[in-house]
Amino acid sequence: MKKSLFQALLLILIFAGIFYGLSQVNWMKLFRVEKVTDALEKQLGDMVWSDMDKKSIESGPEYKKLDSVLNAICKGNGLNRDEIKLHLMEDAEVNAFALPDHHMVVYTGLIKEAKSNDEIAGVLAHEIAHMELKHVMKKLVKQIGYSILISITTGDAGGEVIKEVLGILTSSAYDRSLEKDADLKAVEYLKNAKLDVKAFADFLYRLGEENEGAVPLTWISTHPDPKERAKYILKEGQVTRD
Amino acid sequence: MKEQNFSYVPDEQELEKASNGYIMSLVAVVVGLPLPVINLLATFVFFLANRRSTYFVRWHCTQALLSQFSLFLVNTVGFWWTLSVLFREDVEISNPYIAYIATVLCFNIGELVLTIYTAIKTRKGEHISWWFYGPLTNLICKS
Repeated sequence: MKKSLFQALLLILIFAGIFYGLSQVNWMKLFRVEKVTDALEKQLGDMVWSDMDKKSIESGPEYKKLDSVLNAICKGNGLNRDEIKLHLMEDAEVNAFALPDHHMVVYTGLIKEAKSNDEIAGVLAHEIAHMELKHVMKKLVKQIGYSILISITTGDAGGEVIKEVLGILTSSAYDRSLEKDADLKAVEYLKNAKLDVKAFADFLYRLGEENEGAVPLTWISTHPDPKERAKYILKEGQVTRD
Repeated sequence: MKEQNFSYVPDEQELEKASNGYIMSLVAVVVGLPLPVINLLATFVFFLANRRSTYFVRWHCTQALLSQFSLFLVNTVGFWWTLSVLFREDVEISNPYIAYIATVLCFNIGELVLTIYTAIKTRKGEHISWWFYGPLTNLICKS
């Protein structure tokens, strides 16, 4: 019996040892997974963006406001501002989303709904977090599939697939845990940039209350419960709501 | 793994049945490669069917079942991890995942080779006792 127990333990140790040894190999680098995904993301970003039928507003007070908030977040967190392609679009919908290759789209409806720059900063920080944590490609790979994404870039897939990609990124939330990760990362960005975390929570809370109104609050309705999000954002930011 | 003397000399029919205990897990590989439970189920069903058989047959069916069971445990982890990688947005391909799958693959190939070898030897009338599984079978399977 003792011998069998010793052998069982040894077998487990052999398995664990092989697993540990193989874990030390950088398979992702060996199989060039990250390099291929980065190249794919760049191509997809350009294709999806060029497929959007709305015109981007590149100047005016609303764009300047958005740009200054984005600059503040990037500066406070050592992020490369030039990497983020900011697009403001004329649309009453309260929405903002990230596309592959750091394209960030914000609708004018969201700017109008926000009462302060700090409220906008919360949304931008959340979208930057999705980009930096590579959530955009993770979501696309899971929902569309790696091979179909590659076939888009090689021209083998039709325009319908690009529209599907766009639909997924503009009007559906990420996995619940990814949304929470993005919220918590956003809090970190806001704190580093010395921006008001409470304003972000307040904005979510207010949008949650207004969700039944005439203007579609896509950014809220597609995401997890805004009040619950506001709670953990305040907790992470260690501030209290009035 | 070593060849040992059995307590009696089994007849031709026993040798065939005992060898089939190992073959069952191999047949199931073809059907249930992505589903780790199939191999175990096939071996378990064969074990049940022969639980009142002679000592030699029961002994080898038990050894085959025990080896399949431990393989089932590590394969199940790999199976659910793979499903998570495929369908969950918060789980992605990583170095530990590839390392685990490679480890499981090594163990499966090793077990497959041993199973084929033991099935052939058992059919020839040689009593093969595996390292760890043999002594464990001795503890479970009584004459």
